[in-house]
Amino acid sequence: MNKPVARTLFATAVAALIAGLTMTSAQAQRGAGPGRGAAAPASGTYNGPRTPDKKPDLNGIWQALGTAHWNLEAHSAIEGVPAGFSVVEGGTIPYQPSALTKRNENFQNRLSADPLRKCYLPGVPRAMYLPFPFEITQTPKHIGMAFEFAHGTRTIFLDGTPHMEDLDFWMGDARGRWEGDTLIVDTVSLGDQTWFDQAGNFHSAALKVTERFTPMDANHINYEATIEDSTVFTRPWKISMIIYRRLEKNLELLDYECAEHVYQKLFTEKTRKP
Amino acid sequence: MRPRLFASLTTAGTLLAVLCLPGSTAAQAQGGTAAPPQGGTAAPPAGRGAAPAPANYPPYQRPVSTFVPPRTPDGQPDITGLYLAIPLPRSVETPLVPLPPRQNRANGEFSYSLNERPKLPEGAIVRPAGVDPADGKIPLKPEALQKRKEIIANQEKIEHLDGRVLCLAPGIPRSTIPAPVVGYQIFQKPGYVVIYYEQSHLYRTIPLDGRPPLDPNIRKAMGVSRGRWEGNVLVVEVTNFTNNFENNWVIGAVSATPGIPAESLTTGHGIPHSDKYRVTERYTPIDANTIHYEAKITDEDVFTQPWTLAWYAMARAPKDYVPVEYACFEGNAKNLMLMTNTDISPIRVDVP
Repeated sequence: MNKPVARTLFATAVAALIAGLTMTSAQAQRGAGPGRGAAAPASGTYNGPRTPDKKPDLNGIWQALGTAHWNLEAHSAIEGVPAGFSVVEGGTIPYQPSALTKRNENFQNRLSADPLRKCYLPGVPRAMYLPFPFEITQTPKHIGMAFEFAHGTRTIFLDGTPHMEDLDFWMGDARGRWEGDTLIVDTVSLGDQTWFDQAGNFHSAALKVTERFTPMDANHINYEATIEDSTVFTRPWKISMIIYRRLEKNLELLDYECAEHVYQKLFTEKTRKP
Repeated sequence: MRPRLFASLTTAGTLLAVLCLPGSTAAQAQGGTAAPPQGGTAAPPAGRGAAPAPANYPPYQRPVSTFVPPRTPDGQPDITGLYLAIPLPRSVETPLVPLPPRQNRANGEFSYSLNERPKLPEGAIVRPAGVDPADGKIPLKPEALQKRKEIIANQEKIEHLDGRVLCLAPGIPRSTIPAPVVGYQIFQKPGYVVIYYEQSHLYRTIPLDGRPPLDPNIRKAMGVSRGRWEGNVLVVEVTNFTNNFENNWVIGAVSATPGIPAESLTTGHGIPHSDKYRVTERYTPIDANTIHYEAKITDEDVFTQPWTLAWYAMARAPKDYVPVEYACFEGNAKNLMLMTNTDISPIRVDVP
């Protein structure tokens, strides 16, 4: 068995353990390719815990599994990167021709050009499927999301606060609402400095992201994000995946203080110089 | 880069740099010695140009609040909401060597106000935040004072520069020291208090369930928090801090005046800590709008005794206040180039 396959199976096994599910290998394979397998649950099927205001209780620590953070599209393994299914509905991202050229350049230059390697905030939706846990804190007026990577945060306003104008934010300007048991979040003002993954998939400042968090049960969220950016794409497109509740006892977010790694590298290099 | 993104980030970054850069014109607190405290046994007010004697402040008395906050659905005192920092009235410490008063320094250290700053509550004593020991000085061991002198004397070197200017997470209690960015959002959910800081999008999750501390090998820039409610007071023990850089200072308000010796600082700049560093915080709701904050700092390797900072820290934000992202590190390379002639922009790191 070659290494990437072993990794994929390992990830699947971890997914199964975390999900607390017993799956046949065939089911597990489908679960590992959320773009293929995760059908959106019908609304009104949620039987999990609820908050005092009767919304599905999303409080807790969550994490996506899979390879979307490396590449949203289907890809074979390359050095250090496991193979993975596409999470894009329809398989490929509908780039305009010039934008596709740019994406391919980004891929070639990814080791220097990926903003994450400069420790910049990941943006949305990339923050949602980085291989780090994030913690949701839910109140009737705001939903806070705290990310382990670079201690990023999102505050999603549910109270009708209008979007801000004339400012861009690395993590965007997010406004949400509940539609039945689905949390819908509109995020705009994301700027043009973030990528969707390590493979150079990108967007312009015209990006609008509409996310749908549909809880399937207490421990699984069906996550969908519709990407609109007419400067870069020929039409809106959608990604989907499952976000898993982390069930380990006494789990808490730890640090990935990316900026510290930059300074550590700097100080080490300075010390090394004669 | 799109012009307006660029503009917003560099403006914020430059502002931070100006506020924190020794040698900048940002105001530095000198009121701890220059102005008589209200309600205290004050030294005689010094005239312009005279070196005033350090003020004597009355002994600190922890405020006793009769305010009973409403309860959250799970029975916690409800302090949920958006808050703004109340300015420190007299900075952090009383200097060992009094500073000569400077002229034309209107409004002390907060003349740069970005927001409409909340005011001290009625009857609060105007004093430095350092309340114990009573002399208002940070009880540094001789070798720690030596270290502080070195750090302060070498602020043009990136290895010694204020960690907040590097956009490092400032830890506790420094994250609660008023900074150019001053918003806080307190969330409560069953079993937890969660604090988001507008400054550098920092956050802390404070479990209230009495869980054990983390393995000492796990360290966090903001420490590992364990909280409990003592009546209506939130008490948080914070341990497991990282100690990766000399830039990780315990406290530090605004900027240090250029060229003054470490003994004369009032701002708390340049205080290092060891792996033993730990903090006990107390958040006391004084009324529906005000939270008093106390932080007891212990580190046997750095200080001769535990010491305590206390001040009225948070006032509920106006109804229309919207917290916004303050992305510190993303716009900072140019500032560091300007301030330390160090270019971090070519550095790339591995990410998972």
